[in-house]
Amino acid sequence: MSDDVILQASGILKRYPGNIALDHVDFKLHRNAVNVLIGENGAGKSTLMRILSGVESCDEGTILLDGKPIVLRSPRDAGAHGISIVHQELSVMPNLDISENIFAGRELTRAAMVDRKTEDTQSADALHRLHKPMPVNAQTAHLSLGCRQIVELARTIAHGSKILILDEPTSALSMAEAESLFEVIDDLKRSGVTIVYISHRLHELLHLGDYFTVLRSGRVVGEAPRSKVTRQWIVERMSGRADTTDLQVRPAASTQAVLSVHHLELGSSAAGEESQAALHEISFTLHKGEVLGIYGLLGAGRTELLETLAGNRTRLGGSIQLEGRTLELNSVGSAVKAGIVLVPEDRQRDGLIPELSIRENVALAASHGPLLSRAHETELVRKLAKDLNIAANDLELPVTSLSGGNQQKVLIARCLMRNPRVLLLDEPTRGVDAGAKAEIYRILRQLAANGLSILFTSSEIEETRTLADRALVLCQGRIAAEFQHHQLTDEALFAAASPNVTTGSIA
Amino acid sequence: MTSISATLSSSDRLASSGARIALILLRARAVLVLVLLLILFSALAPSFLTGANLSILTKHVAISAILAIGMTFVILSGGIDLSVGSVAGLGGMVAGYILTQGITLGGTTYHPGVFVAILATIALCLVVGALNGWLVSRAGVAPFIATLGTLYIARGSALLMSNGKTFPNLAAHAPSFAFIGQGFLLRIPIPVWLMFALFAVAAFIAAKTPFGRHVYAIGGNERAARLAGIVVPRVKMYTFLFSAFCAGLVGLIIASQLEAAHPATGESFELNAIAAVVLGGTSLMGGRGSVTGSLIGAFVIGVLADGLVMLGVSEFWQIVIKGVVIVLAVAIDQLQSRLQAKFLPLLLRSNPEAGA
Repeated sequence: MSDDVILQASGILKRYPGNIALDHVDFKLHRNAVNVLIGENGAGKSTLMRILSGVESCDEGTILLDGKPIVLRSPRDAGAHGISIVHQELSVMPNLDISENIFAGRELTRAAMVDRKTEDTQSADALHRLHKPMPVNAQTAHLSLGCRQIVELARTIAHGSKILILDEPTSALSMAEAESLFEVIDDLKRSGVTIVYISHRLHELLHLGDYFTVLRSGRVVGEAPRSKVTRQWIVERMSGRADTTDLQVRPAASTQAVLSVHHLELGSSAAGEESQAALHEISFTLHKGEVLGIYGLLGAGRTELLETLAGNRTRLGGSIQLEGRTLELNSVGSAVKAGIVLVPEDRQRDGLIPELSIRENVALAASHGPLLSRAHETELVRKLAKDLNIAANDLELPVTSLSGGNQQKVLIARCLMRNPRVLLLDEPTRGVDAGAKAEIYRILRQLAANGLSILFTSSEIEETRTLADRALVLCQGRIAAEFQHHQLTDEALFAAASPNVTTGSIA
Repeated sequence: MTSISATLSSSDRLASSGARIALILLRARAVLVLVLLLILFSALAPSFLTGANLSILTKHVAISAILAIGMTFVILSGGIDLSVGSVAGLGGMVAGYILTQGITLGGTTYHPGVFVAILATIALCLVVGALNGWLVSRAGVAPFIATLGTLYIARGSALLMSNGKTFPNLAAHAPSFAFIGQGFLLRIPIPVWLMFALFAVAAFIAAKTPFGRHVYAIGGNERAARLAGIVVPRVKMYTFLFSAFCAGLVGLIIASQLEAAHPATGESFELNAIAAVVLGGTSLMGGRGSVTGSLIGAFVIGVLADGLVMLGVSEFWQIVIKGVVIVLAVAIDQLQSRLQAKFLPLLLRSNPEAGA
């Protein structure tokens, strides 16, 4: 082990029920450098970082810090070793103010009392180093996403960390905010901090990174210093194939409009735990039998758009028409009644009811009349399960006995029970293995061929390219570009999804 | 931000300052209600605002206030403690048992002094508190269920200690025991001193110590608190210990006031304590509220009960009115959150620094 390496993780294995998140991963951190970790969703980046920051423990493997083995059982342990992390999902305590958040868990005390004065001064210093002065006594519930991120960064700076892990730090930031973050990262690097940087944004990585590691499906598939890395190198290793063209022939989509959205507007909010990105001037048309993809980075407003169409968020303005009829869409019920159904992004939280069986989960939303007809229901569910190839010996088994891919098919089946006109899918293959992914794509294409109109969002380029007939790119709540299938390339999607300076602040 | 501020219309400004005032009034509602009640009862019942009556009133309030102060930390951290009434009952019985029956060890019966009896009582109550804390923070039982269980366990144990009977005439066994509930210091009853002392300590802990901040942090976002390195189980354990300590103290005070220990003492006291905490503006979801609010909430309930008695309102109507007040308090709490969410953009616009 050379002096250049500050931290070395070897043979890290992490199993979750049903899949292996990290399969004997070796990962080196180079001292005073920006160590970039790349991979698609589900590749294991965040899991690896949660292990290095003590949030989760690995099943096997060792971690050496400066050549000495360390054990990280809690975030506190990691903090004691000088490792801190800014999580992808912002984790501020909304009821505390900025200074209180920065020192939560590591309060400064004088005579057993919290030393507010010193805390406030040091918080202000940390914010100053981030070039982002804010009133340290403002409640964080009132802050924009970008500002909350700054608070989390300030937390690690105030604690003088040796190793700083940034998990998609710019996903919620405007370009201007991101630029100032890059300056801070340079500053920190010079002052002796080792950075781990995770992002989907290739141009950022190429701009910032000193050493690159690529993860795919829980394995390290590439490692190189900046001098040997090109955009091409990254994309090849991330997607696992050199040839990125899809030769699948598609029928020309019909021109019959099914869903038309005009000038849709959604307000942003950052109050409480559920924050919402704003949407501006969203207009598009979905045709009969078409698969329309919406690509965008985290925080671009993908989920917000789908949930607005599904009646789960109240829009500020704009009109939505289904087959020429204007819809109010003020509740999920009204959307379902009109024929718009959504397969949500987070299966476990918003989709499945784990206590119920596969049959009951599928039939959940489809009650005919006041009484349940078991025989009728069983027959319908059995037919759908066959159509969608749900791999289950018995539909009465708990839904949790299924793999991720089959659980996803259960949710698609539930939506189909309502005979929808429009099927919305938010990240249709999140947490689904490669085989099931291909199958879900095939099923969705088949449904579209039968005349169903499908609108899906994705943060994966590959998925957008494979599945969509046509794709819209969402960037900071606006439609930034539209591509026909033959125009879909990695470069074009990346470029369109990345915010540029002219779009201003997100606050 | 500047462009938005510049385009802020005058009606927005008006709505903004209106919202601000409405929110301030809503936040201070417990104090407002207390003042209104005091004015109302003084006007209707001439003997209400006399020193003697206020002294009796405060002594009554002390019981529920002490429980409410202990309960506040549990609720602030997002939990609930239903066991406090039973723990108070158990505490009184332990003290009664030790003072009347003594402690039998190895065939010899000792008759310890009042001080030892008090320490033993508090120690046993802390054991119940530790059980609550362990169930919630280590065994993962929901606070409602865990403390519902210990409510029954403590009540049953209290009944078992005397086979359901009362330990009478404690004063005959230990005359100085009466001091805790009936004594005076500088013409102020001891329970009132205890209430203010606990209030001062609790308010200090909540506002000035790392522990207090950890309690708020856990109530605000438990996951984030854990990720920030706060040892969540330990903090929760301490909140339940403190609540049980306060409950034990209440048990001692009541036993001392009655000069007897009755196993049914403290039934439904936990509901009074929760009502006081909620009236004081503490959110049952955790993270928001204050010890001061709970003290004021306890006074609101006490003044209401006392005043209605003086006005000759029937006991049954008193119960109905208490219920109405509690429901209204929570409804207003929800209104406040909704208003806050609704007017937040306005409030932020007029305060550009906070949102930029």
